[in-house]
Amino acid sequence: MTSALGAGEAYGLRFAEPGDTLVVGLGNPILGDDGVGWRVIDELDSMDHSDASLQQACVGGVSLMEIMVGYRRAIIVDAVIDPEAVPGSVWCRPLAEVETRIASHLDSTHDASLPAALEAGRAMGAELPTDIDVVGIVIERGDVFGEELSDVVEAAVPVAAAAVEEALRGRRSR
Amino acid sequence: MTRLTIDPVTRLEGHGKIEILLDEAGDVAHTYFQIPELRGFEAFCVGRPVEDMPALTNRICGVCPEAHHMAAAKAADAVYKVTPPPAGRKLRELLYNAFYVTDHATHFYVLSGPDLIMGPDAPAAERNILGVVKKVGAEVGKQVIDLRHAGHRVIEIIGGRRIHPCTGVPGGMTKAISEAERQEIEALGQQMIDFAGFSLDLFDKMFAEDGSIEELVRGDLYRHETYYAGLVDANDKVTFYDGRIKVVAPDGEVFGSYEPKDYRDWIAEKVEPWTFLKFPYLKGVGWKGLVDGKDSGIYTVAPLGRLNVASGMATPRAQAAYEKYFATLSPDGTPVHGRGATHWARLIELMQGAETVLELARDPEITSPHVRAVPTEVPTEGVGTVEAPRGTLTHHYWTDENGIVTRVNLIVGTTNNYGPIAMSVDKAARSLISKGTVVTEGLLDRIEMGFRAYDPCFGCATHTMPGQMPMIVTIRDQDGNPLRELRRD
Repeated sequence: MTSALGAGEAYGLRFAEPGDTLVVGLGNPILGDDGVGWRVIDELDSMDHSDASLQQACVGGVSLMEIMVGYRRAIIVDAVIDPEAVPGSVWCRPLAEVETRIASHLDSTHDASLPAALEAGRAMGAELPTDIDVVGIVIERGDVFGEELSDVVEAAVPVAAAAVEEALRGRRSR
Repeated sequence: MTRLTIDPVTRLEGHGKIEILLDEAGDVAHTYFQIPELRGFEAFCVGRPVEDMPALTNRICGVCPEAHHMAAAKAADAVYKVTPPPAGRKLRELLYNAFYVTDHATHFYVLSGPDLIMGPDAPAAERNILGVVKKVGAEVGKQVIDLRHAGHRVIEIIGGRRIHPCTGVPGGMTKAISEAERQEIEALGQQMIDFAGFSLDLFDKMFAEDGSIEELVRGDLYRHETYYAGLVDANDKVTFYDGRIKVVAPDGEVFGSYEPKDYRDWIAEKVEPWTFLKFPYLKGVGWKGLVDGKDSGIYTVAPLGRLNVASGMATPRAQAAYEKYFATLSPDGTPVHGRGATHWARLIELMQGAETVLELARDPEITSPHVRAVPTEVPTEGVGTVEAPRGTLTHHYWTDENGIVTRVNLIVGTTNNYGPIAMSVDKAARSLISKGTVVTEGLLDRIEMGFRAYDPCFGCATHTMPGQMPMIVTIRDQDGNPLRELRRD
């Protein structure tokens, strides 16, 4: 499908050719810890990831699916509300193993869940990644406006960036 | 009956929380619909230059950033007492109508439309975009994606970015468009009209062939006789960008109209102990609780409200669709009260948005380089109002003499509809609970469809509440003891 948002057209910091890996940080950059996904992308941007496209976005569902069109692989970096985990902790899981409700931006009340959007996109013939990981940064709350991260989430930024790098290394060896 | 004070749902839970209290006879006494709210926006804005507000406020919401951007730009115009030149205003309107096309199409095919296209009795797991694609075909799905692409492209050309535009400033816009860009928008506008026509035809076909859709649109389950409010232009037609706010009574009598800057003379807000959100109501009628009728100040906005207050649409094909809508649902021209009709009204607005995009793309002034009047007055206070897809959106700013924000008040679209939404949820609950018998089958679906027609936007965009909204419904006896809990995670 050529009509959807092309690869790298959201808030691209560095564009790769479609077919490479997309790393997209999700969140609202003025909503405190909710925006940690953007900060992780900033951190990654200072490193060398010439084979990956880094993007920041504040969308979910169909809009997120549209951003992924043309990529073979994707890593989503997102704030998560996970009562089972300590704020500031970081995990990396395949999308299929993530409960989309706790990953704050994979769904939208005005849209569709990302898994449903991806399935619909594929049914429409879109080339979408089948290999999608989620790097989640556990936050305590993301409902208060502010441009600063809390201390524990700030400390998690390099940890999350390292988790993305590890996932990228794993992808290269696959 | 025991009165309970319930803590509003927190983001941690991520669920819409609905508490249903039964009376001694086992019937529904009250239904409380609670949702999360983001906090601290006013404090976040205070101390910033007012010209930053259009860029800042479009981050409130990832669903309708264009609406916040436009309301903020208009409020900043008012703060500086400056009027954008014609080309500046037309570019804003062009961007805004392209946004309407994108938003309304997404809502119909991805969110609310599945209730209609899949049918209200389809399993909730199938009432989503995937179900729609399977039912109407992948080609239609591609057209939806194409249309979103077209809308985002127009927004990018005029607004600088596809999703969060950044070109609205006090006095107009930061950039003009070229002739090549105009031609591109013109082609996209024609594509939008074609799609809007297809969508209206699809709705007509479904309405004619599927009795469950007619029941959803006409039936009593989601019917509420409230006041209605929305912007109208100088010809009393539906408008999204600018106009006077007109209010009509449940029987269609004109209650009045006012300049948006006078909103505080017309609208008051009722605080209830069980929710963070306040319930707006008409001051001139008064607060009688969450009840229907001419004596209750509850009013409804968004597509249903806009079509009910106006005497017609501003463009020809939308006008034809409007006439068919009223001929079918209310031949005497009095307000349409069935909440399910909102879906139909939304498609009529989709057509108006598409026709307006083409009309403005062909306007001789649209490529004028004069898109901004530089402010020269001392800034003070200003109100900016637009019709967001989800209802009348008002931004009100106060500044010091240097244009630094000292106070902010926002009334967002959905807030206006909070009363009617709560009433629809209550009515859905009453339809399946009677004399102690709770029909759990379908209860969550009916409640969900009750609020979905309004396309509520209670939080920030992509946050917390998924497309299939997680819900916890707790049913309590007259003493407040929980009888049953239904969940959808």
